[in-house]
Amino acid sequence: MTPVLLGLIGLALALPVPALLARARWPLRAPAAGIVLWQSLALAAILAMSGAGLSTALWLVSVDDPGPWRVALHVVVLAVGVMVWARFWWATWHVWRDTQARRRRNRELVDLLGEPHGLAPAVRILAEQTPVAYCLPKRGDNRVVISRGTVEALGETELEAVLAHERAHVRARHDLVLEGFGVLRLAFPRVLRTDAPLRQSQVMVELLADDAARREHGGPAVARALVTLADSATPAGALGAGGGSTALARMNRLREPTPHPRWPALLSLTISAVVLVAPTVLLAIPWMVHAWQTLDL
Amino acid sequence: MTRLGELERSVMNVLWDADAPLSVRDVQDALDDRELAYTTVMTVLDRLGAKDMVRRERDGRAYRYEAARSRAEATSEALNAALDESGDRASALVHFARTVDPAEAAALREALAALEADSPTTG
Repeated sequence: MTPVLLGLIGLALALPVPALLARARWPLRAPAAGIVLWQSLALAAILAMSGAGLSTALWLVSVDDPGPWRVALHVVVLAVGVMVWARFWWATWHVWRDTQARRRRNRELVDLLGEPHGLAPAVRILAEQTPVAYCLPKRGDNRVVISRGTVEALGETELEAVLAHERAHVRARHDLVLEGFGVLRLAFPRVLRTDAPLRQSQVMVELLADDAARREHGGPAVARALVTLADSATPAGALGAGGGSTALARMNRLREPTPHPRWPALLSLTISAVVLVAPTVLLAIPWMVHAWQTLDL
Repeated sequence: MTRLGELERSVMNVLWDADAPLSVRDVQDALDDRELAYTTVMTVLDRLGAKDMVRRERDGRAYRYEAARSRAEATSEALNAALDESGDRASALVHFARTVDPAEAAALREALAALEADSPTTG
C-alpha cells in the first residue's frame, strides 16, 4: 500500500492542492511565508513521488508472488517516480543555463545601450519611451534597468521607489526563488504540471519588493509609480502581456496598514510543516521499518 | 562600469552615429579626445564583434566596421528579452509593472485615490 498511497499524495500535491491554494487570497497577505508554503508543497510532491518510486522498487524485489496487475500498477508508480527525479535534474541544468545565457546577453546590450544614472552605479537608462523597469541580478555586479520613459513619467520620489523595489529584488535574490519554481514546474511531466506555484510566487516577490520600497519611500509613492507605469500606453505588439491581477494584488497590499497581521504567515508555515513532515512520519518511516524487517529476515 | 565596458559603449555610439562603415582609424579619430592606441580600438572592435554587435567587411587591405544592428533594434532586443513572459522563461527577469487592460487601470486608479485619501500627503 505504501507506494500507492505515497503516489496518491504526490498526485494530490501536484495538481488539486495547488489549484485550490491558488484561489485562496490569504497566502498573499504574508508573501514570504506564502513562498515557503509553495516551496514546501512542490518539494513534498517530489518527495512523495520519488518515495513512491523507491518503495515500489523495493516491493518488486522483496515480494514472492505478485499478481500481474499489482506488478503493472507498481511499475507505473516506479516510472513516474524515476521520471520526476530525472526531469528535476534535467530541468535544473536547463533553466540555469538558459537563464544565465539570456541574462548575459541582456547585460551586454544594456551596458552598451544604457546611460549610467548619476550616483547609482548599477542603474542604466535606456533611450526608450515605453516605461520599463527591471533588474538583472548578479552577485556583486547587478543592473537595474529603466527606460527614459520611466524617468519622464515618474516624479523623483516615485522613481526612487521603483529603484528601491528593483534593488529589493536584487538584494533578496528573488530571481533564484523564481528559478527554483521554474525548475520544479519543469520537473513534473506535462500532465502533472501546474503554473500556479510559479505564478503565485511571481506575485509574492513583487509584494515583498513593494514592502521594501514602501519602508523607504512610503506606500503612496510606490502606489503612484505602480499606477503610472501600469497605466501607460504600450507600443504596437511587443510589450503588451496582461498582468493586471498582479498590479491589483500589489495595490491591495499597499492599502493595508502596516504591520501586517501574523495569522496568514502562521497558517502558511503550519501547512508547510504538515505537508513536509506528515508523509514522512505516517508512511515512509513505518514502511522503512517494515522493509528493514522484511529484507533482514 | 569598467574602463573597457565604457570604451565599448563609446565605440558603439560612434558606429551607431556613423552613416557608413568606419575603419579603425576613423573610430580612433572620432574618439580622439581619449587618446586611444590603435590596437586598443581594434581590441574593442573585436570584443564587440564577439558580442555580435559589430560586423566587419574587407576594404582593400583593411577592414571597415559597422554596427550589426541599429540602436533601436538592439534596444528592442533587450526589452523583448526582458519582458518575455512566455512560460518556462518567466523566471528570467522581474520587472516593475506590466500593462493592464482599461478596466483594471480604472480599478487601480480608484484604489490609488482611496489610498491617497487615507494617508494625507507626506511628500
